[in-house]
Amino acid sequence: MRRYLARAIARELRAARALFLLAVAGVALGVASVLSIQILNRSALGAFAGTVRAVSGEADLSVLGWAGALDESLLDDVLATPGVAAAVPLWRAEAVVDGRPGASLEIVGADLLQAAVRAPWRLPEGGLGDALARPGWVALTPALAAEMGWRVGDRIPVSLGSRRAELVVGALVDLQRVAPLASRRLAVMDIAQAQALLGVRGRIHQLDVRSAEGVPKAELRARLEARLGDRARVLTPEQRTAEAEGLLAAFRLNLTALSLVSLLVGGFLVYASVRASLARRREELGVLRAIGATRAQVLRLVLAEAALLGAAGTAVGIPLGWLAARVNVAAVSGTIRNLYLLEGIDAVTLGPGLVLLAVATGVAGAVAGALGPAIDASRQDPRALLASITLEERVRAGAGRALLVGVGLLTAGIAVHVALRSRWAPSAFVLALGVLAAVPLAAPATIRLLARAGRPRRLGVGYGVRTLGARLGSAAVAAGALAVAVAMLAGVTVMVGSFRVSVERWLDATLRADVYVTTPSWRRARSDATLAPEVIERLRQAPGLVALDPLRQVQARAAGRRISLSGIDAALPGGARRVELVAGDPAAAMAALRGGAVLVSEPLARKAALAPGGRLAVHGREGEVALPIAGVYRDYGTEGGAGLVDLSTFERLFGAGAPSNAALYLAPGSDAEATTLRLRAALRDHALQIRSNRTLRAEVLAIFEQTFAVTRLLQVMGLVIAAAGVTLSLLVLASERRAELALYRALGATRPQLFAVFLGRGLGIGLAGLALGAAGGAALARVLVDVVNPAFFGWSIALHPPWGALASQAFAILAAAAAASLYPALAASRTPAAELSRDAL
Amino acid sequence: MVPVVTFRQVAREYRTAGGAVLRALRGVSGEVPAGRIVAVTGRSGSGKSTLLHLAAGIDTPTSGEVVLLGRPLAALADGERTRLRRDHVGLVFQFFHLLPHLSVEENVLVPALVAGDPLRGATARARELLERVGLAGRREDAVQKLSGGEMQRVALCRALLRRPRLLLADEPTGNLDEENGERVMDLLLGLARGEGSAVLFATHSRELAARADETWTLHSGVREP
Repeated sequence: MRRYLARAIARELRAARALFLLAVAGVALGVASVLSIQILNRSALGAFAGTVRAVSGEADLSVLGWAGALDESLLDDVLATPGVAAAVPLWRAEAVVDGRPGASLEIVGADLLQAAVRAPWRLPEGGLGDALARPGWVALTPALAAEMGWRVGDRIPVSLGSRRAELVVGALVDLQRVAPLASRRLAVMDIAQAQALLGVRGRIHQLDVRSAEGVPKAELRARLEARLGDRARVLTPEQRTAEAEGLLAAFRLNLTALSLVSLLVGGFLVYASVRASLARRREELGVLRAIGATRAQVLRLVLAEAALLGAAGTAVGIPLGWLAARVNVAAVSGTIRNLYLLEGIDAVTLGPGLVLLAVATGVAGAVAGALGPAIDASRQDPRALLASITLEERVRAGAGRALLVGVGLLTAGIAVHVALRSRWAPSAFVLALGVLAAVPLAAPATIRLLARAGRPRRLGVGYGVRTLGARLGSAAVAAGALAVAVAMLAGVTVMVGSFRVSVERWLDATLRADVYVTTPSWRRARSDATLAPEVIERLRQAPGLVALDPLRQVQARAAGRRISLSGIDAALPGGARRVELVAGDPAAAMAALRGGAVLVSEPLARKAALAPGGRLAVHGREGEVALPIAGVYRDYGTEGGAGLVDLSTFERLFGAGAPSNAALYLAPGSDAEATTLRLRAALRDHALQIRSNRTLRAEVLAIFEQTFAVTRLLQVMGLVIAAAGVTLSLLVLASERRAELALYRALGATRPQLFAVFLGRGLGIGLAGLALGAAGGAALARVLVDVVNPAFFGWSIALHPPWGALASQAFAILAAAAAASLYPALAASRTPAAELSRDAL
Repeated sequence: MVPVVTFRQVAREYRTAGGAVLRALRGVSGEVPAGRIVAVTGRSGSGKSTLLHLAAGIDTPTSGEVVLLGRPLAALADGERTRLRRDHVGLVFQFFHLLPHLSVEENVLVPALVAGDPLRGATARARELLERVGLAGRREDAVQKLSGGEMQRVALCRALLRRPRLLLADEPTGNLDEENGERVMDLLLGLARGEGSAVLFATHSRELAARADETWTLHSGVREP
């Protein structure tokens, strides 16, 4: 049978190369979608874990602050704890490179004397003396030096907060050799130098601890926690990576779900291709069965062919996925840095695990796609296979049943979600899956309905649409695959459009100041990036200033998670307009804030089940403080959760400190743009970002667009696969109906007429896919907007379908369906009348 | 009067996959005048179907000339040949070649759809033909529900719908039992005579051939004198 398999495949390739190649392309694109997202997902986590490893080496435990930096004096307590063999203090912050827009360094200040002995990397010979003695000495990765064109000895101007400093490239150390996924932007320098240069004396961010021989990690952790009390947290490297995983979970899950849709659509293509192949080879299988081949042998033959098709698709899909991942690194990395405040992705790697995943996905997807037709073919007895009755009649009979199954699956999805929504967040995806399963199952009934509409007056486009029902199987599979892709496209488009309108309205409501001042490093360094007191003084003298609104922010631990806690001046006149409450009176909330209460963001309230009247336990400098919750405000800035307190409460929790942001309210009639320019000129000695309301708003929306860049690519990939499905289906039709086409030609149909018939069939499939996809997309949009976003990200979005974008997408889909029909139409129009064989039709 | 179709020294050769030359027709000549019924007989592989394909312009000769209604087919582009066939030739096949997704009446109407004829007139004509072949009561039925003889009667109606000048029938009774074959042949010849169409039909049967005005016998691609 193996020899027969090889011959059968070779013959199939000769007989229907286009069909085979299209199915391979479908699998390849599906595998590429899944693989690229998995590469990016793993690289995102790898970047975090890799940086931890490159910096900390094989530390057993890390002591971290509850919010931002720690006091250096904690080192003595840690070293005095029994079982601690060594403790290495680290100071970490992201500083921006001045004069190089977008460039930044992840500065790690370390005890280089200790590092010389314990770190997994080495300084060059004689480098240690230089590193300790030379101000601004920093070791960079060779990759970053090559990218930026820096050499040893070059000076690099950097800033942290509004403070500027100058670093000197002292050595090139290949930290990525220690951990390949570690950030190439790591810059290591002596901790004392880093503290002095960047104005953070006495502050550290973490203490890496090694346990003495024979002391179990868990026991040492308990001892350290007992000794340090509420002043710090003690985590294993695994726990730190798990925290990062938790922060990225929703983001990763969404991308994975989207990529799986591409695979699902690719599976449809395999199904269509195998069905066509089996329809063509019905007689061959009948003869095989008649001469003694068992049902199992027939099943194995068909599945082995599909597995080979899957393997071919995987072979193309792996490099394609790798390429797609590389193209999208910047967008995903930007989202991770901006939205989740984690290390961005610098390098993507394709390990053997991911290659195996791709192979399993491609081959299993192809075999799954072929399973239905294969089982069907193997179950037939030889007489049935040799008879002229085709699969089509059964597909026609099954159209109503498929619709019922679809409705059943949708109902089951709704039932599961309704029953489990409060206990199990993924029930939202079960609901979405119900919608996506129902859409293709309704395709045969939709095509039948379309085929009944009107009576064509001549052989042309209308006749093509009308006769789609004659080969329902092929047309329904293509329309079903297209409908799934369209549903996903429409659903996600409505969700993103609605999200954008919600964000715009939120910005309108909350961005009330005229000018916003922060520092280039603030986005990542947060509480470490502060505005110098003299900057605040100069801002207070800005012409036309009515009020200055300072803001402090820290990444704090509260309600068992990391949140962004901000301190604002709750007494600011008219300041209640800065927040948009989900419910309640903002003025009363501001008054409560002045009394020591906290406002929690909508995502935090949802995820931690918080409500006004309850309390939020925040870890401050002196331990945990339970703040009364005065209200819930709308926030799309971070899905991890955020809170707002008055600056006095902030100081009580985290000590005195400088603000990291300031908002300026100008007198009515003032020119914000002109004030911005004047302030920039006046404060040019400081590293600042001074933006007008309009510019800040545009930048926020640009970040929003970047966040959805990968989503759009996945949508396009899904649609490309679906368009390939239309071509494949029409090629199947052209091949299955060659005799019918020859008859038309014999009866006097011209080539342009046959071309028009196939164009009509492509448009018919496009119309059916569009109609079903629109219905599925509307349902999916509601699921994404009303269920998935609140459940996974915590924010609520108002439904605002972007009608213009949807209309242009509908036009593009029909155009794609028409374009996908051109080649099959051309092939069909070339059918000679002499091809009318005796046993056809 | 111009003959409906004329064959002048027509030869048709095919090259097999192995490179050998297969001579389906060799120097065949003859003409079919308007209204005349000509039977083509001969063994399987003698070239009967090839001759009918050449007459319809479905196939082209390797040498020689086929003239349909005064127009040499070799000089016409594919589109012109197609339109000439559409407007003046009716085809009946051994295996009926009805479209399974269309009803009886819709099958008969296919040539009108192809030509873009007004459907009202075409439908009236289809119903008239179905009446004449005894299938008036089956016009809404699916074609799969018909017997072989009934299917061939539908095919005959389809061939005659646009009143062709030439009716080509390739073994029209070859797939039917004797009784049904007789009935179909009666209808074919009766309708063609009634419509004034010339008929060129291929058959194995001497009895059926005897009902034609003239018989051409082919032997290994050569027309016997």
